[in-house]
Amino acid sequence: MPRNHTRGARWILSAPLLVFVAVAVIYPIVYGVRTALQNRTLLDPDASWAGAANFLTTVKDSGFWHAVWFTILFTAIVTCVELVLGFCLALLVDKYFPGKKPLLSALILPIMIAPALMGVMFRLLLNENIGAVPALLHDAGIHITLFSNGAVVPLLIVLDIVQWTPFTFLLFYAGLQALPRDTYEAAAVDGAGFARTVRSVVLPMMAPVVFITGFLRAIDAFRTFDVIYVLTGGGPGDQTTTMSIYIYKLFATGNFGTASAAAVLAALIVLPLVPVVTRRAVGGTTAEAAR
Amino acid sequence: MTEAVLTTPAQTSVPAGLPPRRRSEPRRAWWKTALVTVIAILINLPMLNAIYTSFRPDGDISRAPLSLHLHLTLGHYRNLFNGGSGYDFSRYFLNSVLISLGAVVLVLVLTIPAGYAIVRLGFGGRYLLRGVTALRLVPAIFFAIPFFLLYNSLGLYDTVPSLILANTFLNLPLGLLVLAGALRDLPVEIEEAAIMDGCGVYRTLRSVVLPLLAPALVAVAVLVFLFSWSDYLFAVILSSSNATPVTVGAANFVTSTGIRWGDISAATVLSVLPPLCFAVFAQRALVSGLSAGAVKG
Amino acid sequence: MGGTSRLVRAVSAVVLAAALGALAACGSSGSGSQGSGTGTVKMVLWPGPEGDAMAKVVSAYNAGQGKTDKIHIDMTLLSRSDTFSKEATLMATKSSEFDVYFTASYLVAQHAPYLQPLQGLDASRYFPSAVQSLQVEGKQYALPLDISNNFLYYRTDLINKLRTDPTWQASYARISQQLVGQSLTPKDPADWTWNDFIATAAFFTKKENPQSPTTYGTALQAKNLLFNTMIWDDVLWSFGGGWLDSSGKPALDSTAAHQAMQVYNTIYTKALTSPDSSQAEFPETQAAMTSGNAAMAIQWSAGYADLNNPTKSPTTAGKVGVAPVPGDKHQTHVHALAVAINNYGKNRSAAQKWISYLETPQAMTLYAKSGGIPAQPGVLSSLTSVNPVYTFIARDLSADGFSEPALPKTYDIYSALAQDLSGAWVGQQSIDAALKKADSDLGTLAAQKSGNK
Repeated sequence: MPRNHTRGARWILSAPLLVFVAVAVIYPIVYGVRTALQNRTLLDPDASWAGAANFLTTVKDSGFWHAVWFTILFTAIVTCVELVLGFCLALLVDKYFPGKKPLLSALILPIMIAPALMGVMFRLLLNENIGAVPALLHDAGIHITLFSNGAVVPLLIVLDIVQWTPFTFLLFYAGLQALPRDTYEAAAVDGAGFARTVRSVVLPMMAPVVFITGFLRAIDAFRTFDVIYVLTGGGPGDQTTTMSIYIYKLFATGNFGTASAAAVLAALIVLPLVPVVTRRAVGGTTAEAAR
Repeated sequence: MTEAVLTTPAQTSVPAGLPPRRRSEPRRAWWKTALVTVIAILINLPMLNAIYTSFRPDGDISRAPLSLHLHLTLGHYRNLFNGGSGYDFSRYFLNSVLISLGAVVLVLVLTIPAGYAIVRLGFGGRYLLRGVTALRLVPAIFFAIPFFLLYNSLGLYDTVPSLILANTFLNLPLGLLVLAGALRDLPVEIEEAAIMDGCGVYRTLRSVVLPLLAPALVAVAVLVFLFSWSDYLFAVILSSSNATPVTVGAANFVTSTGIRWGDISAATVLSVLPPLCFAVFAQRALVSGLSAGAVKG
Repeated sequence: MGGTSRLVRAVSAVVLAAALGALAACGSSGSGSQGSGTGTVKMVLWPGPEGDAMAKVVSAYNAGQGKTDKIHIDMTLLSRSDTFSKEATLMATKSSEFDVYFTASYLVAQHAPYLQPLQGLDASRYFPSAVQSLQVEGKQYALPLDISNNFLYYRTDLINKLRTDPTWQASYARISQQLVGQSLTPKDPADWTWNDFIATAAFFTKKENPQSPTTYGTALQAKNLLFNTMIWDDVLWSFGGGWLDSSGKPALDSTAAHQAMQVYNTIYTKALTSPDSSQAEFPETQAAMTSGNAAMAIQWSAGYADLNNPTKSPTTAGKVGVAPVPGDKHQTHVHALAVAINNYGKNRSAAQKWISYLETPQAMTLYAKSGGIPAQPGVLSSLTSVNPVYTFIARDLSADGFSEPALPKTYDIYSALAQDLSGAWVGQQSIDAALKKADSDLGTLAAQKSGNK
């Protein structure tokens, strides 16, 4: 494209975003990082500088590392499972079948329920005394207690999968619909089996979508809060404490400085993922490629 | 709704007016219908249970989950709107709708031109994209105090605009990532042809790129709407009474003497309807976007 | 077109500067004038019985006395779980948004820097423990509004049968021998020790006693939640223990603390409560009772009304007995939910007038009739027909009630103890290790003094 023609345009086109970032993004970040460097609790209305003390407190707390480890494990498991299940479901639903339209809507209904409310709904559904799932299991002769010590972590993983597989499904389904049909139908006509077509034709073409979806899902899973907090409060002990729950509890007890420091550390842990993902998902920009 | 998001760019090559292609399917795959129905029921158990609970009287809810004697009541729904609960849910719904729509519009207004500038005009390279993407990594509670200060000093505390801005903030990464990806997949030749024909950058963006981008725009719109609709934390921090959305209103049924299961179930059931409606509306918008694209492209 | 780009750069710089400049000004709203003494007073409360009852008092005031005072009360309900985080945000920014804050015995020391001490509270109207629990360094910072404590709720039909039926008594003797090593006879729940409690819980557990009409004997609240620390404290205090010893040192590695842990651990690991109790709090305990699956539970005073309500809980209504929390010595945690004046509010003198109104027995009588539990024994005794549990509160609280030490970090301590101990309550962790960790966390938090002011 004629470059001199577009130099002004690119500033003008980006202006709204830049203004928004300047007004609504820079200040909160600067303020939050400053808080992380301050001795700031509810008991000290006037904060004083703490240097790296909050970061040191956080790093020395075994509870923090436990939360990091649990969160990473939880994120890795649910993201992988949701990517696989979402992809399979998208392949299953891709072509026409009777009743497809209403069923599509039903499949993504779970993501329309706010996580804060979903937590309460799970709490009712799974309650051993007044919940439907334990009652159904009981009637079927299956006697398990869903929240007992060994079951609670797998249960939380399953619940996350139930609510968020629809999200990965949604993006994958959209991606499949966007594929040039001819290519992948040609492969099928050539006699390549379904599995092989998926592996060697569909998957490579879907790679950017898989990356974006996996990334969006992973960073949201990394911040998981509502459902787990409502169901377990992070316990027993700190067994199910995620990063967000850890930080929320610091905040709720008025330890703003330490809470902010822990939040900065949490963000730093995932930060290296960003360039990897933006490169794989979006690639170099066209303009850069043209240079 | 799904159709909305999901009928995507493949169909941009379909001439307007023709029905969507239906690939040759020798027999109607009823087994798929059965399988998908089972999956849909399983993942919607919380919702189905909420619907069921929302029609049951308190005395039944507190005793047994499954009962063959159905005494149904509309009492919980009446509580939401009659002031029986002391909460004004019609207002909460209105707030939620305004907040979510506002966030959708703002995210699109910010990300479409910027995404185009980044991908096609090489603006800020990948740094802007990365910077914005990184925003979503920070746990939301980090922003509680600064957001409160910011919106309070702008005079926006407890107003719908403050929540629109907060949700825009939260969803910018999603919007920018998805749109940048979609833009990059568009064939650049069409735009080059348009520029050769004497279209300026803005006109190319408006008349050529936007229609081609319609499916991705709908996908972003629906996702932003959903995530804004679901936001809870920022709403707690930034609203007190005037701008309270449904999520926060419903949480009022979690009290120090237990959870009012029937009322909160009714609120949850109703809270799903507006996103569904939005999705249907978005689907229509998509169809017109597609035909516009087909005619011009 | 380079000009455009310079223009845009300049505009963004100006916008940024303006935004940051606007912010520099905030946070400086100070405590200057007390306000006019009239006008609107904005108050925060949380939803549920307290909020519902207060709404009635507010409308009565706005329609009556408020007209005379030229004061209008505007109440905002925040969600229960987030009321205090939201207030923390408001306080940390020295907000003047609300004139009256919602606080509690377990938070008042933390909130005190943002509150204005109250004038002329008539302490004689209140339970002494409620008034004292809202004092920080000798100053009264908040007005007790609603009082919370724990009781043993039991199914009278089941316990009466146990105390009269010889076959049941025989199996009770056998089961108690197995579980607590003594052959016990069923006693009046008002006289129970923890052994009686455990034996009865076992008797009403199907696994231990196939004849039991209930699945589990009791419903333990063992979720990692600060309110559950308060219930466990009942057990700790009943064995003569406490958070701190007489010299103010942490005392959670004591014999009493081990005994208290053992009570929870036995109930959970012997499955006298459902395995799901590890994630149970108030609503789950209510559900265990209303569904008829548990015979008794230690529960909050506020739970009684629903359990005894024929529409909400047909299974238990009319069959709920109330007894003090078991133990060699009966002890119940007591805390008050309270209202206090925002030190950074704009209308503090009007807020003070409203608080003084809330102190009147007439206001508290309306509050009690609307479902709240006021902290005034006089009001409770006159209204026992409204809620039978008032009788027990008025009777037991002066004798058995205790408050945990009001330290600046009391709220953190409750949370830390729930975090440290909840694993061992349900047998996930050793009692020794949990108590050692709790003792050391308590030591750290108890040593922290309030801030630089």
